[in-house]
Amino acid sequence: MLNLFSKKTSAPKQPIVIVSGLPRSGTSMMMKMLAEGGLQILTDAIRSADDDNPNGYFEFERVKQMTSGDRDWLDEAGGKVVKVISALLEHLPSDRSYKVIFMEREIQEVLASQKKMLDHRGEQNKVKDEEIAAQYRAHLAAVKPWLARQAHMEVLYVDYNKMMAEPGPLCRRLIEFLDRPLNEEKMLAVPNARLYRNRA
Amino acid sequence: MKTVILGFDSFDPAIFESMAEKNLLPNLQKMADAGGYSRLEVCSPPQTEVSWTCIATGADPGSHGIFDFVLREPNSYMPYVSILPTKKSAVGETFIPPYTTKTFFEEAADMGYPATALWWPAMFPARPELPVNTLPGLGTPDIRGQLGVGTLLTTEDETKKKTAVAALIPAGNNRFTSTLSGPAVAGKSGPQTLTLPVALDVINAQSARLQVGEVQLDLKLGQWSDIFEIKFKAGFLANVHAITRVLLTDLGAAKRVYFLPLQIHPLHSAFHYASSPGFAKSLWSKVGSYLTLGWPQDTTGLEDGCINDDQFITLCDLIFERRKQIFHHLLAGFKEGVLASIFDDLDRIQHMFHHNRREVAEAWYKKLDQFVGEVAARLGAKTRFIVMSDHGFSTFQFKVHLNRWLAEQGWLALKDGKTEGDLSHVDWSQTKAYALGLNSLYLNVAGREGQGMVNASELESLLGEVQKRLLEWKGPDGRNVVSAARLKHEVYNGPYARLGPDLVVGYAAGYRASAETGLGKIPAAAIEENHDHWGADHCVDKDLVPGVLFANRDLRDFGGISFRDIPFLAIGKHLDQSHIKPPSQVGPQGQKDLEERLKGLGYL
Ligand SMILES: [Zn+2]
Repeated sequence: MLNLFSKKTSAPKQPIVIVSGLPRSGTSMMMKMLAEGGLQILTDAIRSADDDNPNGYFEFERVKQMTSGDRDWLDEAGGKVVKVISALLEHLPSDRSYKVIFMEREIQEVLASQKKMLDHRGEQNKVKDEEIAAQYRAHLAAVKPWLARQAHMEVLYVDYNKMMAEPGPLCRRLIEFLDRPLNEEKMLAVPNARLYRNRA
Repeated sequence: MKTVILGFDSFDPAIFESMAEKNLLPNLQKMADAGGYSRLEVCSPPQTEVSWTCIATGADPGSHGIFDFVLREPNSYMPYVSILPTKKSAVGETFIPPYTTKTFFEEAADMGYPATALWWPAMFPARPELPVNTLPGLGTPDIRGQLGVGTLLTTEDETKKKTAVAALIPAGNNRFTSTLSGPAVAGKSGPQTLTLPVALDVINAQSARLQVGEVQLDLKLGQWSDIFEIKFKAGFLANVHAITRVLLTDLGAAKRVYFLPLQIHPLHSAFHYASSPGFAKSLWSKVGSYLTLGWPQDTTGLEDGCINDDQFITLCDLIFERRKQIFHHLLAGFKEGVLASIFDDLDRIQHMFHHNRREVAEAWYKKLDQFVGEVAARLGAKTRFIVMSDHGFSTFQFKVHLNRWLAEQGWLALKDGKTEGDLSHVDWSQTKAYALGLNSLYLNVAGREGQGMVNASELESLLGEVQKRLLEWKGPDGRNVVSAARLKHEVYNGPYARLGPDLVVGYAAGYRASAETGLGKIPAAAIEENHDHWGADHCVDKDLVPGVLFANRDLRDFGGISFRDIPFLAIGKHLDQSHIKPPSQVGPQGQKDLEERLKGLGYL
């Protein structure tokens, strides 16, 4: 929305592209798509690819340090893509502009995927699934109205399940939203490959 | 930034939703189908001038001080019109801006964009220091400095409740003469009312020629004249200009001619009518003449029986058509910034016909929908388009004389053996609470009110007791009279909050404060049936009359949308951030579990 409102800012910095959502809602898949499309990813190799994220996590460790005040890295992030889970969005400073791609996925699928990941990590699931599901819903119910009111954030919601079922139209909307020349064919190959893998 | 806002005063969501269901409002329905519709939470109280000011500032009355149509000066208990305050100065009494809190129009101008607000309430007098183009709406006075009543010239011996009446005197040869009273000016021996001679020459049963001062008009029975200009001589070389329309309503045995209130001429105004004067002038010359009164749809003339339903509706049509032309003219040259325009004819139509001729009201909804279609067709994809209202509408079967009720409860006493009266007849030494304005109730607080007698220690319990009894109050139909009585600190934030009423009285559907209550009067009964033409209203509790919001963007992620969100939707900026709670402030217990879980996954 910002591009429709701001005026006469001296050489506006390119907005930072944020991929967000609940953990295991398709954020890594989206990161991979954007990387294939030609965007530069802000990431470090602390968590590399594993069974849970075959393409890698595309995470940037310093994002987690935002709560303790480390935000200098944002200076170099203009025009690049960084993954910020929804719970950390509110810590993004409001003196920059962001394009937020917010992944949405069936909560039950998110939970199942998280459970699998916890198992792999040998962690225990301390809270019941129904409770967690309720909390996630409450969290999303609070995040969305908040996001809608952020002057410095433009948001596109992407349905992971739809993206996996029929990526074409959503991919075009994504490119339109980012307003940058991206390689659509290579982007589409990401969900398509998964689709084929799951069908196989 | 390019934002177009159409404000439809009183556009009601329930009526929209039911008409849209029948496919009667296709253009607005199209916006709704794309996710761009929401009911709008409006401010408390949901009065026109309060609500549009809350919308313009994104803040409640505690931040701008417009709490009610009528406010009081606490020391003297003297009422004044909130949207037409005056100040005594060396040159006499002058109008001052009703509020100075920053609006999104000013913010847009600060960002470097042109901003235009047409017919927005409480924007009279214009503030030439601000780079915002305005034609003011509700609150703009007539040339007498009043909110305006018309004048009936009649051959009959009759009086009207509010309208000024002057005799048409037969002068032979089918000629009748009269005198039109204009503004008062300072004379040698006190204020002197300026007048113009009027002559009516009856040509036949359908037409007559009217001479008003130097102006001559050919009139057809039952047809509004064009807007015309008259001049009152106020001394050597000094003229007071006014504009009006006139209607020949009777050429039978009785002859009657009705003048709309005499209104400010935008090209010759003694007041700061518009900003800039050149803006008002260019619209006048390029589009045509327009009425300037804040409430030009003459409901008083209709209520007083000076004009009939059809003549009133025609007048509303004429006003709406000219305002649309002005809007389209500005839209044609609109390249960037904010262009906002309020259309308030629907409000007047609903006050008069919501309860008795619903088809008239519904026809107006269709008109507005068609207008939305015309405007939408002219907007590019990158233009923000907002259509909204300041409140919905409700029924008005009973008039509530709140001061009488307070007297019955033992909280208000009259002095000198009086049984009826106004606030000047109140025995303040025996009075704990009083009402003034359409939704305001004040306690008579020691140290705040001139003769306050409620001590600080008693305030809270008294407020609680008044609140409780208001909510228990049943009307003649057995239903509640009041649906919510809101405490000042619950509804108002900001520097003006302390000046607001102690309780905001939110009437239940069917009830509204009487006009007498508005003025602080204390008539004989607490509740009276409403048989007036003015048979529907919106000055009830705000939850009963939400407004509407349409936008060419998806509104569904917002959750509840209120007036506080409008500046953001209009210019992409919140003027006041205090209502936006970050998600982590929601549900602290759940948040903790969530964080634990995310840590387990390695995300935090
Ligand atoms: Zn209104």
